Amino acid sequence: MFTEFLQNCIDGLMIGSGYSLLALGFTMVFGVMKRINLSYGPSIMLGAYFGTWLYLNLEQNAWLVLLGTIFGTVVVGIYVERLCFRAIKSDSTIASMVSSFVIWMQLEEIAMHLLPERTYPFPAFFAAKTIEFGPFYVRSEHLTMFILMLIIVLILHFFLYQTRQGLAIRALSDNPMASLYIGINRSKTLFLSFFLVSLLGGIAGFFILSTDSQITPFFGLWATFKGLIAMMLGGMGSLPGAIIGGLLLGIVEANVFWYGDPILRDISAYLLLFVMLVLRPGGIFGQSIVLRQRLAQERV
Amino acid sequence: MLKIQSISKHFGGVKALNELDLEVEEGEIYGVIGPNGSGKSTLVNVICGIFLPTEGDVIFEGQILSENPTHQRLKKGIARTFQNIRLFPNLTVWQNLWVARNSVEDIKTESSFYRWFGKSSIVKKEIEKMLEFSNLGNRADELASSLAFGEQRRLELARALATKPRLLLLDEPAAGMNKDEIRDLDGRIRSMQLQGITIILIEHVMELVMGVTDRIAVLNFGSKIAEGNPQEIQNNDAVQEAYLGYSEDD
Ligand SMILES: Nc1ncnc2c1ncn2[C@@H]1O[C@H](COP(=O)(O)OP(=O)(O)O)[C@@H](O)[C@H]1O
Ligand SMILES: [Mg+2]
Repeated sequence: MFTEFLQNCIDGLMIGSGYSLLALGFTMVFGVMKRINLSYGPSIMLGAYFGTWLYLNLEQNAWLVLLGTIFGTVVVGIYVERLCFRAIKSDSTIASMVSSFVIWMQLEEIAMHLLPERTYPFPAFFAAKTIEFGPFYVRSEHLTMFILMLIIVLILHFFLYQTRQGLAIRALSDNPMASLYIGINRSKTLFLSFFLVSLLGGIAGFFILSTDSQITPFFGLWATFKGLIAMMLGGMGSLPGAIIGGLLLGIVEANVFWYGDPILRDISAYLLLFVMLVLRPGGIFGQSIVLRQRLAQERV
Repeated sequence: MLKIQSISKHFGGVKALNELDLEVEEGEIYGVIGPNGSGKSTLVNVICGIFLPTEGDVIFEGQILSENPTHQRLKKGIARTFQNIRLFPNLTVWQNLWVARNSVEDIKTESSFYRWFGKSSIVKKEIEKMLEFSNLGNRADELASSLAFGEQRRLELARALATKPRLLLLDEPAAGMNKDEIRDLDGRIRSMQLQGITIILIEHVMELVMGVTDRIAVLNFGSKIAEGNPQEIQNNDAVQEAYLGYSEDD
């Protein structure tokens, strides 16, 4: 009984690491721009469609698909940045959210035209295997994704805390007004963040889809939902929050799936979010965001 | 060095600045005083490029600045502090200074690897000098939000200095300070002048303005009503009138 529960938690951690990667992208955009980029999931989906298009039309090589997915996601990410975020004034939060929704629809259309049938195969680096640890077991591709998530988090942390570009991003997120006055180029820094986030999204998308070994047009919606929920659980704008939120979501889903009903799995995610928002509106790590916003609203 | 040429700035019906002319010489400490709402902060925002003037030009070292965004003006050497402190609360004291220094640096004297990670000895030495100047040496690794009020003011000043300005705009730097802290600030302002920085000081605290400035302009309703050295300003009738009942409560 207890072994079963632990096994579910392990599965949850593995699947949750994918949610964490998605949530990192949402939380970084929110941290820097105080906006939600609804079209993040669909941009990853379109990037992945490009990757799988290469797979079908050029060469059956997982590396090619990985690079293609990353490249596609970055190109779409820059397109989204130009259209939804740069073109719209910095104080129109709602407008840029609505336009990111419109772009979502547009991206799904493009994906359908690129590859008109709905489901396509998606390759992985190696064939799925099951690895045993005593009474427990994990799938090799899940373990890969989990380890990759840890590595990405370490690199991201190092970048944001130890390099000058990373520090500029944090300064802009911390106090946008003050960052102007110490000479930070706002649009350059926002562009850099979007580039990074898209890069991250491409990598995340590839590994999540590899474990499913297929891609459908629903992936965009799915990725936006999972990423948003994980981010809100952890706290909007918080990096550790995105990681913990994703893992928590994975663990809860895996247990509900096992003990309850497969259909309940998705409902449990919304329920969990609802409970969290009632008990702790800022999310696990999000309380300070509320304070920070108050600070940012002071007058010049 | 800085020339404000018949600048007007209107907010809807409010004329925050009204055909204002100013000229600041290189190396001087230029005071700007005036009642609340007379347009002092607006003047700072126009010089820094946060507001575009409705009319008129800002000329810095012979160049018209109208189209330059704030971050470019900073690279030309215009820095400021705020009436309300604006630090990076979730960055440490050291990082607050580092990020400021980084964003102006264009000289590639060191390998880009070191520049990226900020570990070069030149950077460290400069930042340590800033820490010493602002008397924050023992708080370098603490978050800016954990500093006391006076320390935050000192950090903000040091951060502006870290951008290596040639013109520094101080918007009410003594607000909320006690007598000792004001004396301290007085010394810091003089020492910055000795380092060759031109300073525009906006301030309500008269003992500071009258003691430290070379020349003073008085604003009222967005226009200059007087200009001169501290002695002349103190004896000026128009100034007395604009400040009537004002100096008592401030
Ligand atoms: N962003 C703004 N929008 C509208 N009105 C403003 C703005 N900033 C300043 N004002 C108005 O301009 C006038 C001058 O304000 P300000 O420059 O802050 O004065 P001071 O700093 O001398 O107290 C005031 O009437 C103020 O209400
Ligand atoms: Mg003011």
